[in-house]
Amino acid sequence: MIKLQKIDKIIRPENNQTKRAYIYKGFERFWHWSQALLIIFLVITGFEVHGSYELLGYQRAVLYHDIAAWALLVLIIFAVFWHFATGAWKQYVPTMKLVKAQINYYILGIFKGAAHPTKKTSYNKFNPLQRLTYLGFKVFIIPLQVISGFLYMYYMYPENPIHIERLDIIAIIHTFGSFLLIVFLLAHLYLLTTSESPKESFVAMLHGWEEVTVDPEEEHREHLQYAVDKSIAGYYRLDLDGLFISVNDAWMELYKCKERNNIIGMHCSITRNDKNAKRLNGMVSSVLKGKSLRGVYVDRKCFDGTIGKHILSMNPTFEDDIIVGVEGFIIDVTDIHRLQEQMYHSVRNSEAGYYRLNSKGYYEEINDAWLKMYKCVDKDNIIGKHYSLSRTIKDLKQANEIFEKIMKGETISSMIVTRKCKDNTTAQHILSANPVYENNKVIGAEGFIIDISGLEKDI
Amino acid sequence: MQENKNRAYQIKKIIIYPVIILLPWYLIFLIGNSIEESQIIIKDSVIVNYKIDTLPSVVDHSKFEVLKQKFDSPKQVTEACVSCHNKRHKEVMASAHWTWDRESVRPGGDTVRYGKTNAINNFCITATSNRWKCTSCHIGYGWKDKDFDFSDYKNVDCLVCHDTTGAYEKQPLGSGFPVEEKRAFTDKTYFPPNYNYIAKNVGKPKIENCGKCHFFGGGGDNVKHGDLSSDLYHADKDMDVHMDEGGTNMSCVDCHQTERHNITGKLYSVSNDNNNRMTCKKCHTGDVHKNNTINRHTNKIACQTCHIPVYAKGTATKMIWDWSTSGKVDKNGKQFKEYDSLHNVTYKSGKGTFEWATNVEPEYVWFNGTADQYVPGDIIKDTSAVLKINTLFGSYGDHESKIIPVKIHRGKQIFDTQNKMLIIPHIYGHDSTAYSKGMDWNLAAKAGMKDAGLPYSGEYSFISTEMYWPLNHMTAPVEQSLKCIDCHSKESKLKNLTGFYMPGRDSNVFMEILGILMIVGTFGGIIVHSVIRILKAKHIIN
Repeated sequence: MIKLQKIDKIIRPENNQTKRAYIYKGFERFWHWSQALLIIFLVITGFEVHGSYELLGYQRAVLYHDIAAWALLVLIIFAVFWHFATGAWKQYVPTMKLVKAQINYYILGIFKGAAHPTKKTSYNKFNPLQRLTYLGFKVFIIPLQVISGFLYMYYMYPENPIHIERLDIIAIIHTFGSFLLIVFLLAHLYLLTTSESPKESFVAMLHGWEEVTVDPEEEHREHLQYAVDKSIAGYYRLDLDGLFISVNDAWMELYKCKERNNIIGMHCSITRNDKNAKRLNGMVSSVLKGKSLRGVYVDRKCFDGTIGKHILSMNPTFEDDIIVGVEGFIIDVTDIHRLQEQMYHSVRNSEAGYYRLNSKGYYEEINDAWLKMYKCVDKDNIIGKHYSLSRTIKDLKQANEIFEKIMKGETISSMIVTRKCKDNTTAQHILSANPVYENNKVIGAEGFIIDISGLEKDI
Repeated sequence: MQENKNRAYQIKKIIIYPVIILLPWYLIFLIGNSIEESQIIIKDSVIVNYKIDTLPSVVDHSKFEVLKQKFDSPKQVTEACVSCHNKRHKEVMASAHWTWDRESVRPGGDTVRYGKTNAINNFCITATSNRWKCTSCHIGYGWKDKDFDFSDYKNVDCLVCHDTTGAYEKQPLGSGFPVEEKRAFTDKTYFPPNYNYIAKNVGKPKIENCGKCHFFGGGGDNVKHGDLSSDLYHADKDMDVHMDEGGTNMSCVDCHQTERHNITGKLYSVSNDNNNRMTCKKCHTGDVHKNNTINRHTNKIACQTCHIPVYAKGTATKMIWDWSTSGKVDKNGKQFKEYDSLHNVTYKSGKGTFEWATNVEPEYVWFNGTADQYVPGDIIKDTSAVLKINTLFGSYGDHESKIIPVKIHRGKQIFDTQNKMLIIPHIYGHDSTAYSKGMDWNLAAKAGMKDAGLPYSGEYSFISTEMYWPLNHMTAPVEQSLKCIDCHSKESKLKNLTGFYMPGRDSNVFMEILGILMIVGTFGGIIVHSVIRILKAKHIIN
């Protein structure tokens, strides 16, 4: 709850929008600082083992170096798992886009007070140089140190299958790696000062929150991706030739399609009858010309041969402002359609009268049976009138009570009431009444009425 | 409400973040501490697979009639021993203690007979031609020349090893016999032994039995070995943890276990193959250290290397013997001696110059258990170089090799410049050709080489020689053993052992320079970059 409020509060109505976002997750921060401290500790003890100085004492330095190495290894294993489990690895995928701009910024632009060529966003925390450097750090320096470090420890273990004759190569590589780590650390710390607000960036690594630029397109993309994946609406994307590029799980379900391979690469007409296919082709070609369609009612042909009813949208997909295909969503209306139809017919054909009142007690809807029962000719005479119109004065009090109960959410299943017809005759009715909801709020009442006047006489 | 929630969140944040960051470190600290407790801090536990034999002797020799007879000579005692132990003499006579030589295969494949009987060293040089003096330490009676009968069991001296009374003693310069009449020699007086008393009290050899000869090799206390001196008769813990009278109080044979008179352990001045050796592992089994890093060191480092940090802890040992300075006389034309402040002889006319040392730090070499010796008659390849009288084989690349501590005894001794051989000089004797009497190298060389059956050209000079004495005794208490830094530093004790990389001692010059350049370069870049940034920022503001 608190986190959500935070985000809401900060969004600023500017063109270059920023927001305060939780960009460094708990584990990420724990990993960052633990790794930083472990590496610094390893460098300190490592250079004592290297013979550069005396600090802890050689035996302690070796022992602590080994313990810290194991701790780092455990941390790395967790971190690797975390990166893959959360998809955070995507942040490190190298890109050559804007690398030159970033370098230019550091060697020229920064002196002129130029703006950063790249923005930090929730989904793109690192600039292209950072991506490259951190990736290098993760896939080169760390493995170099881990592998050479373990060879260093176990190179002459008697049971070791790879008994290496000489330590010098291993030791020199390990030393080289530690120099790289020192250089990385220095550069890392210095480049922090080139950030727009170094202090904030530093503190952000402690509590995780930082002001980041909002890239609407990116936000849209990231949210949409999630939404599409989880949606119950079917999503599809076609290329210029009308062949399927991608569909989501919901799409598969709608079309009763079990294998994604059965659909990707097929022409979109596979889901249509011959008659419908022509229409579809027409739609696709118009969308490819830049038109967007919304709410088109179509029949589909499922993979199991059944026919369904859909409402679909279709809009062009762009890449660098050029239309490269179409995409859209599909909502299955087969069942809804049938249900509504039935309801409509049942209500219309019913001998029972149907009525719906709004929250104030005015008629919103009545059916023919109701009109007949009340001996009315014209619907318009009733719609918009208060329900007291149809009651005797004696009965009105009871009707008011019922209405109040309904508006409180109660349901009346059967109640005998006396009605006052339009021609001033009275009759006995059994009626049901239940609240009408909209967004969990009672907005009115509805119910059915059955005339039991004749019945009474029969009895 | 909202305010409170925010404040609670702030407080939570303040508490949680340090905890998240510090807790793992605290855990690491705890783990590290417990590992350190178990691995670094020395505990008073000794992991040894050893039990001292405290059972009483199975027989009482004082009850035997044969030992109650009157003995006139030590040989009669030997006969009495063999009358019961009627096969033991064969075991003794097959051992190197008796033969003073054994068959040994040299690196080239030649099989030679080699041992004390024909070995050359850089102390008194050789037993050949000086036998009657040297054989006072032979476990026999009467080996004064080539005619000694090695097959006569009556010549075996049982008592020198099995006397437990301390009353039995061979006399110096007596070919192995005790005195027959009271005799004074230098500052000591020797009495004829009471054989009946001694014979009734025979038993397992004690430190005194072994030490009598082995502590006095080279003609004096601790002269040769450096780690075997009379100090071990009554050692304390600092002198030797094993022989500590207040502790385990072990004697020589507790380690040098003996099966049918074949005693384990040997010395590489006179033997060259890797068998019948004594090892620490016999008792100290398994992972001997709690720290695994140190356990791994035992692949390449012998136990002695760390656990014998110094030798000659009491009596001084001889480090240098320079024969080339011998022959000087005082103003009366007489031989003379010079002493240092500790009464060690530093010069003797008939022997040359000596250097002594106590609490000596060993030198270290690679050793794989095999060795070679200079065998009389070997041609010296390079007479200008230092000649190794015994060579210990081993190297870093050899899986069998370990670093061991050695005493290197350095000497200068006579050699034949034409034949390029070490000369066997006749040093001791009553005749004028003996160098200690006549001090004429030519005569001594001629006589000695004739005895040895080797040629002598008549031209001699002196060559620098080295002898390698592996150190195995005077094991120090664990607190005194070498620390990591003793070797893993620029001033490493192993700085003479090159050709391999040792952390803390070695580094690659190229990598060091590269590393420094990388760091300095980064710093330089940072400074230049930030200076320009600051200057430009001012400029922009202005």
